[in-house]
Amino acid sequence: MNFFKRAWLSLTAKKGRSVLLILVTSAIMLFVLAGMLIHTAADTATTNAKKSVGATLTLSANREASFKKMRKSSSSNPKLTTTPVKLSNATKIAQLNNVSSYNVTSSTSVNAKSFDAISKSTSSTGPGGQSSSSSTGDIAVTGVTNTSEVSSFSDKTNKITKGRGLTIADKNTNNTVIESELASQENISVGDTITVKSTSGSKTYKLKVVGVYKASSSTSTQQGPGATDPSNTIYTSYTFANTVKGSKYAGTADSVTFNVSNPSQVSSVKKAGNKIINNSKYTLATNDSSYQTVKAAMNNVKSFADKIVWLVAIAGTITLALIVILMIRERRHEIGVLLALGESRWKIVGQFFVEMVVVLIVAIGIGGKFVGDKLGDQLVSQESSSTSATISAPGDKSVQMSGKPGGSGGGPGGGNSAIAGGGQTGTTGSTQETNLDVNVTVLTMVELGGFGLAIMFLSTMIASGGILRLQPKKVLIE
Amino acid sequence: MLKTNNLGYWYTQQKNSLFENVNLEFKAGQSCAIVGQSGSGKTTFLSLIAGLDKPKEGTIEFDGSDINQIGLTNYRKKDVSIVFQSYNLFTYMSPLNNLLTALAVTQSSHAGDKDFAMDMLRKLGLTDAQMKKNVQQLSGGQQQRVAIARTMVCDAKLVVADEPTGNLDEDNTAEVIELFQQIAHEQGKCVIIVTRESTVAKACDNAYRLAKHEFSMI
Ligand SMILES: Nc1ncnc2c1ncn2[C@@H]1O[C@H](COP(=O)(O)OP(=O)(O)O)[C@@H](O)[C@H]1O
Ligand SMILES: [Mg+2]
Repeated sequence: MNFFKRAWLSLTAKKGRSVLLILVTSAIMLFVLAGMLIHTAADTATTNAKKSVGATLTLSANREASFKKMRKSSSSNPKLTTTPVKLSNATKIAQLNNVSSYNVTSSTSVNAKSFDAISKSTSSTGPGGQSSSSSTGDIAVTGVTNTSEVSSFSDKTNKITKGRGLTIADKNTNNTVIESELASQENISVGDTITVKSTSGSKTYKLKVVGVYKASSSTSTQQGPGATDPSNTIYTSYTFANTVKGSKYAGTADSVTFNVSNPSQVSSVKKAGNKIINNSKYTLATNDSSYQTVKAAMNNVKSFADKIVWLVAIAGTITLALIVILMIRERRHEIGVLLALGESRWKIVGQFFVEMVVVLIVAIGIGGKFVGDKLGDQLVSQESSSTSATISAPGDKSVQMSGKPGGSGGGPGGGNSAIAGGGQTGTTGSTQETNLDVNVTVLTMVELGGFGLAIMFLSTMIASGGILRLQPKKVLIE
Repeated sequence: MLKTNNLGYWYTQQKNSLFENVNLEFKAGQSCAIVGQSGSGKTTFLSLIAGLDKPKEGTIEFDGSDINQIGLTNYRKKDVSIVFQSYNLFTYMSPLNNLLTALAVTQSSHAGDKDFAMDMLRKLGLTDAQMKKNVQQLSGGQQQRVAIARTMVCDAKLVVADEPTGNLDEDNTAEVIELFQQIAHEQGKCVIIVTRESTVAKACDNAYRLAKHEFSMI
């Protein structure tokens, strides 16, 4: 084990060279560290992003099958009959693995009685402007289980500004959440009671206002003519919407949306769900487009980060190998003396490797830790801002058909994101800011050390080709 | 101790071989000089018997076994010790560490024996301060004495030297020759010195001349 001592003697005797080697190694290790941090950040971002976008399954009537049936029908007056979704099926599906929650949607319309609906502004005079036909009321009723799970609320297009949203506790009540423009026009506040009447009969219903929401798209110009003003949408419990529709709609819904907690499992949940439902009447539609978008974008980020790590590692290895080769050339004489003394070649290579490892340890120990912390902080802040920009970009396509018209707010905020250029992620789950917690941990340093060791080993091996071929006679006898 | 059997060598670029059919024998406890003009092939011959190169023809026997059998690395480690004209010390070490390193590498019986190494350096005229500073701060004569001390502390029974006095003045030359005689007569080793200087040859027990591709006893 004499070569350890030789390595030490050589390092301490040639201090200038050792310091230079340490500096170069620190620099290379910093590049590797940066690559690793980017890699970790990308990993975390990917995981978080995948988690934060939900995937959903929507249970609704099988319209395609109904159309086919209608066309086949020999009746002279074929009728399109779609079957409302049975809630008993929905509860069964909700119990499947990976289904975290579900939201029942049942939409209908009523006419305002105790107040006036907001009339359509400018373009309401078009041919379609006479919107209230006999079957369509001026107030759109969206019956839901839970307003917070409606996409327009979860993506923050709609925001509760006063009172509260509807929850499962509002089932079988006449509680409602109305839009702020309607509230201010009609001077309705939380706690008031409003009256609406059925579009077909003369039945009236009293609704208690428990909350007011603000629709950011209430002045949207993207609505086609004939659409009612978004401010005329009120949210109620789905049971109320069913009551308005009629007694045969009890225990049914237009659609039920299931949130799948693990988006990658969405197809297996769908398979299991399809066994529960009658496929000729109902259909389960997957919506994991946001997940797929995020997945694709994030996989790009990851492969990019992977490439950076490899690039840096390869560049580092080449640089160090060149330096070690130069160093070994400079030390041909010493190698010759060792060979003349009968030292085995691998022990000479071993000595150089030990020297490089000592250099590496010192480089990581003093350089890496100090500068690495600073670099880590910086990367974290950059990474998290770009990632959150990507993820919080509200999607244009509303994943869940909530009966609420419009809903196209928010520009693509992630457009200028450095890494994942504008991944539009319309999320049905909550849109979260993804905070990356990347620190230079002990583990990072150990990994860095491992990487450095591999680089040193490779460089020494590459450079040692010269040692293995060196003829001592040539070096020692001129 | 050392025998060459029909030894022959030539460089591929050259038409004629440097020497052919060389049959020499060197005995333990004796010093032998090989003289010859510059370019006659003395260094080449020495590199063969030192195990630094392989002969083109013939074999070299050390204590009855072919040095190829011993293995050239092993032969250099255990059996032969070389002194060069340009000293060839570890330039980044002190004289003492040079000796200790050589002892360790050759796995000699005195490996790790610092006092033994210091005694040897003292005997060869180095002060305690000198043996601990960098070897390059010593004079040429002192450096060659360190190289000879290195040979003297190691176990190898064959000592070969290539123009060991080539860089030295007369006084140092005389001292160095005296040291080689000690190695042969007191340590009982076999000493082979390649030299151009006839004074060196005269001081040795035996001498060969290499001229016109032939070795002849003088
Ligand atoms: N590596 C080599 N390649 C080719 N020719 C060489 C080489 N080394 C020495 N020679 C030639 O071989 C001859 C003998 O060289 P050398 O053994 O060094 O002689 P000496 O030591 O007696 O001066 C010289 O003519 C020299 O030019
Ligand atoms: Mg010569």
